[in-house]
Amino acid sequence: MLSQSMFPWILLTAAFLFTLGALGVLIRRNPLVVFMCIELMLNAVNLALVGYSSYLNSEEGQVFAFMVIVVAAAEVVVGLGLLTRVFSIGRELDVDDLDEMKQ
Amino acid sequence: MNASTAALLAGLVLLFPLAGSALCGLLGPVLGRRFVNLAGTLSIGAAFAVTLVIFVQVLGAASGHQSTTATLWNWLNLGPGNLNVSVDVTIDQLSVLMLLVITGVGLLIHVYSVGYMEHDPGVARFFSYMNLFIFSMALLVLAANMIILIIGWAAVALSSYLLIGFWYERESAVLAARKAFITQVIGDVALVIAAILIFVNLRAVPACPSNEKCAGLPQALHTLSLPQIFAHAGSLGAGSPLITLICILLAVGAFAKSAQFPLHTWLPDAMEGPTPVSALIHAATMVTAGVYLIARFHVLFALAPIASGMVACVGMGTAVMAGFIALSQVDIKRVIAYSTMSQIGLMIFAVGIGAYAAGMYQFLLHAFFKALLFLAAGNVIHAVHDEQDIREMGGLDSRMRVTAWCFLVGSLALAGFLFAGMFSKENLLGFGMINGPGAPTLYIVGIVVNVLTGLYAFRLYGTTFRGEPRSEAARNAHESKAVMLWPVVILAGLSALAGWILQWPVAFGPHLIDAFLNPVFTSPGGSHIAKAPGLGLGVIGFVIGLTCSLIGIGIALRIWVRHDLDPSHVLARPGFRLLPRLSFNKLYFDEIYDALLVRPTRALARGLRRVGDPVMDSWIKGVSGVATDFSSAFRTIQTGLIRDYASYMVLFVVIFTIAVMLAAGLAK
Repeated sequence: MLSQSMFPWILLTAAFLFTLGALGVLIRRNPLVVFMCIELMLNAVNLALVGYSSYLNSEEGQVFAFMVIVVAAAEVVVGLGLLTRVFSIGRELDVDDLDEMKQ
Repeated sequence: MNASTAALLAGLVLLFPLAGSALCGLLGPVLGRRFVNLAGTLSIGAAFAVTLVIFVQVLGAASGHQSTTATLWNWLNLGPGNLNVSVDVTIDQLSVLMLLVITGVGLLIHVYSVGYMEHDPGVARFFSYMNLFIFSMALLVLAANMIILIIGWAAVALSSYLLIGFWYERESAVLAARKAFITQVIGDVALVIAAILIFVNLRAVPACPSNEKCAGLPQALHTLSLPQIFAHAGSLGAGSPLITLICILLAVGAFAKSAQFPLHTWLPDAMEGPTPVSALIHAATMVTAGVYLIARFHVLFALAPIASGMVACVGMGTAVMAGFIALSQVDIKRVIAYSTMSQIGLMIFAVGIGAYAAGMYQFLLHAFFKALLFLAAGNVIHAVHDEQDIREMGGLDSRMRVTAWCFLVGSLALAGFLFAGMFSKENLLGFGMINGPGAPTLYIVGIVVNVLTGLYAFRLYGTTFRGEPRSEAARNAHESKAVMLWPVVILAGLSALAGWILQWPVAFGPHLIDAFLNPVFTSPGGSHIAKAPGLGLGVIGFVIGLTCSLIGIGIALRIWVRHDLDPSHVLARPGFRLLPRLSFNKLYFDEIYDALLVRPTRALARGLRRVGDPVMDSWIKGVSGVATDFSSAFRTIQTGLIRDYASYMVLFVVIFTIAVMLAAGLAK
C-alpha cells in the first residue's frame, strides 16, 4: 500500500511519461519508434489507472489496466503486421512517406 | 368452406408461386438450370393442385354457400373513422374459374418453357418472373379488397413489363416493355381514382340502407372491401353521374389491361417477349383481367347503364378493328396478338351487355385455344430459327406434323367451327341479339367479326403450314421435342373437347359454365344479367354464326391454300384501294399517338429544359459553389501525414481538458 502522499507524484510521473510518448509520436519518423512511444503513452495511462485504484481503494482501475494491456497487445499485432507489409512491398519505413490518406 | 380453410387454401395458392419466384431468382443462378426447371414448374404444379382442391370444395359446397371471404391478416389500420385495409381473399365460382385457368394453363406453359428456354442463359430470371406473374395474377383474382386488387393489378403489369423486356439487349424489346408499362399505368391510375371515389363517397353515407343485406355492417364504410362495397353500392345512386364516372374509370382500367381501343397499341408490340410469355400473359390470362374486373364489379355496372353500354361498344369496336388489322400482318405472333385483341373485344362486349357467364365461358375456351396457337407458333419459330415472318414459312405441315395438326385445331377453334370457339362465340353473340345498346346493331358487327376471324385464322394457317416452303429455314424445319409438344397436344385436346363436354348434348343454349357462374352474378347486390335468347332465336343465331365462320374459312382457304381466288382485283377498285394499306399499317394508330402525344410531350420537355436549365442551375450551382469553397478551405489540413492527425488529436485533447477544468473551476 502506497502512502496517500505518494499519489500526486504517481500522477505527475504518468503525465510526464504520457507527454514523452506523445512528443515521440509527433516528432519521430521511424514507425517502430512511434509504436514504442504509443506503448509508452498506454503505459502512462496504466500507471495513472493503478495509481487511482490504490488511492480510491477500489479494484476497478486495476481491472481496467488489464483491458488496456490486452488492447495494446492487439494493437501491436496489427501495427507490426502493417509495418511488415509496408516493408515487404519495398517502401521505406518513414511515416512521412506514407501519406496516401491525402487522396 | 369455412373462412379458415379458405384462408389456408388461398394462402397456399399465393405462396407457392411466390416461393418459386424467390427460389428461382435467388438460388437459380447458383444451383443451375435443372434446379430452376424443377422449382419453377413444381411451384405452379403445387398451386394447380391446391386450386383443384378449392374447385372441388366449391363444387361440393351447398348452394348459396359457395362464396367464402376470409381475411389473411390486417394490413393497414389508420384508426377509427379512417381507412382500414385487410388482406382479404374471396373464393367463389368466378375466382376459382380464373385460378383454374391461371394455374392450369400456366402449368402447361411452364412445362413448355423448359424446352423453349433450353438454350437461354437467363432461364433463372425467366422462371422467377413467370412465377411472379402467376402470383400476381392469383392475388388479383383472389382479392376481396380493392386495395389488394389494385396491388395485384399493378404487380401483373410489372411482371408483364419484366417479361416483355426479357431480352433486354434488344432495343425493340425494351421499348415495347416500356410502352406496355406506360399504358398499364394509365389503367392503374384510373383504378386508383375509382377506388378513391368509391371510398370517399361510401364513407359519406350517413346510415346503412334499411335492408337485411347490411345487417352487422358498419354505418359508414371505412374499408374498400369488395363485398361491403357491393352491399352498399345502391347508396351511390343508380344511374347517377357519380357511379357512371366510377364505372367508366373501372372500364378504362379494364381497357388498358385487356388491350381495348384506344389503349390497345401495346399488345402487338408485347410480342417482343419470349413466346411462352405471349401465350401465358398476352393471350390466356393477364389480358383477360379486364374482363374479370368488369365481371367482378358487375354490381356497380348494373347501376350504370351508360358505362355498360360504352363498354359493350368499345369491346365490339375493338373486336372488328383488330380482326381487320390481323388480316394483313405478316408476323406470326402479331397476327395471333391481334386475334387475341379481337376475341377479348368479344368478351368485353359480353360483360358490357351483362352476359357475364357468356364472357367468362369465352375466356375459358379462349385461354385453351389461344395458348395452343401461341405455343404452336413458338414451335414454328423455333423450327425456322427465330424467323417470325410468315412470308418466309410455308409447307411446314409435312415437316412438323403434330404442330400442324394442333395448329389446325386451334385455328378451327378460333374461327368457330367444330371446336371451342363455336360454342362460346355463338353463345356470346346470341346474347348480343337481344341485349345491349341498340340491339341488334352490335350483333351485326359481331357477325362481321365472325367472318374476319375465319379469314385471318386460315390465312395464318394456310400461309404458315400449306404450300411450298419459301425459305431455306422452312425447308429444313423439323418437329420440336416432346417437352414442347405435349403441352401443345394437351391444349389441342382441351380446345377440341372442352366445348362439347361443357355443352353436351346441344351446341347452343345453356352450358355448364353458365350454371356454375350464375350464382355469383345473381347474388345480392343487384343483378344485371342479360336475357338469354330463346331456343328458336338461339338456333337461328347459331346457324348464322356458323355460316359466317364457314364463309370466312372458305374464302381464306380459296385465297391462301388453293390460290384459285385472287382478291387483288377487288382491292384495286377505288373504294377498296385504301383498305390493305390501312390494315397493314394497323390503322396508323402508332403514328397518330406519336403525333398527338409523344411528339408534343417531347417538344414540351425540350422547351422546358431550355427554360429550366438556366433557372434551376443558377441557384443549384450557387449552393454547390458554397460547399466547394468551404470544403477546399478545409482540404488543406488533410495532409495524409499521421503526424499531423496525431497533432490535431493532441491539440484538441489539450483544449478539451483545459475547457473541462475551467468549467469545473467556474462551477465551484
